[in-house]
Amino acid sequence: MANIAEARIKREFKEVVKSEEVAKCHIKVELVNDTFTELRGEIAGPPDTPYEGGNFILEIKIPDTYPFNPPKVKFVTKIWHPNISSVTGAICLDILKDQWAAAMTLRTVLLSLQALLAAAEPDDPQDAVVAKQYKENPKIFQDTAKHWTHVYAGGPNRTPELDAKVAQLSGMGFDANKVRVALSSHSWDAERATEYLIS
Amino acid sequence: MSAAASSSQGGAEGGTHPPGEEEQGESSAYYECNICLDTAKDPVVSMCGHLFCWPCLHQWLETRPNRQMCPVCKAGIGKDKVVPIYGRGCTKPQDPREKMPPRPHGQRPEPENAGGIFPGFGFGDGGFHMSFGIGAFPFGMFASTFNFNDGRPGPPPPASPQHAEEQFLSKFFIWVAVLFIFWLLIA
Ligand SMILES: [Zn+2]
Ligand SMILES: [Zn+2]
Repeated sequence: MANIAEARIKREFKEVVKSEEVAKCHIKVELVNDTFTELRGEIAGPPDTPYEGGNFILEIKIPDTYPFNPPKVKFVTKIWHPNISSVTGAICLDILKDQWAAAMTLRTVLLSLQALLAAAEPDDPQDAVVAKQYKENPKIFQDTAKHWTHVYAGGPNRTPELDAKVAQLSGMGFDANKVRVALSSHSWDAERATEYLIS
Repeated sequence: MSAAASSSQGGAEGGTHPPGEEEQGESSAYYECNICLDTAKDPVVSMCGHLFCWPCLHQWLETRPNRQMCPVCKAGIGKDKVVPIYGRGCTKPQDPREKMPPRPHGQRPEPENAGGIFPGFGFGDGGFHMSFGIGAFPFGMFASTFNFNDGRPGPPPPASPQHAEEQFLSKFFIWVAVLFIFWLLIA
């Protein structure tokens, strides 16, 4: 790893660890290995969003050319959001691409991701299915995002109706995660979701 | 998303160094390079006021040659638009210049020169002298009348090397113009 990248990550790591956001449990960074090339981030779902109360784990990979090029970040925790792939966790956020600037830090990246959870950009989507639902059926989107937050990110808000639908289809022998994706992508229409699962 | 990004960045500037919490004292944080976050080496400052090590900024500019912006505030930036900072302690021989290019030099713009802009485009030597004299005269009078405390040098006196150079350049361009017109006529 290039010298400047490692030296900077060490400084940033200290910076995040003693930042006030960490003190308030809003963000967190942990080392994955000794070489500072890979880190594990964590952000809390912002209040007054379907992600509230959830904890979202991020995989952060630091390239050799850091900070001249952005870190590679993706969601490990499954999440239902227009700008994050519900399948791979890949993120569509300009500062992680062409709008990156060398003065940005792990802390600003984590805070920007938190801001992304609070304000989606459906016109620049990563997951087209989610973005379509976000625009055309906000109520279903909210419930679905809340459901995913409860199941995958430990959010406290249950969605009993949706839980029941997942349980029903899972009872037919399908994998619960696949059922959840099928139902979420088909506006929780059990018939269409089943068709999708069979095909 | 850039709005959210920049707002959290704004927070970064305020929150990075909470008052009285920095190990080496608050003051050193002001002289940290915005890229490597260490005390700036070979420091330069951008027009927008952001401080960098020259090697760090140079590498940033090399990384994105077609979109040159300040790494902090995204204002326009460029190699010729940064000013080096020379502290008092840096008169000693500098550490060996690494493979990095040297810092850009400080700019020493020429003083404004009333007579120097169009030093006579009349043909012939006499015309040139005449218009230069007229051009410089009011400026000289203005300078001597009002600028008691201003150390700004006036236009170069006719005998100075700068004047000779201007005269030479002026003559040179006139000859180029003459040759060009001649070429147009015979072409
Ligand atoms: Zn630097
Ligand atoms: Zn700037």
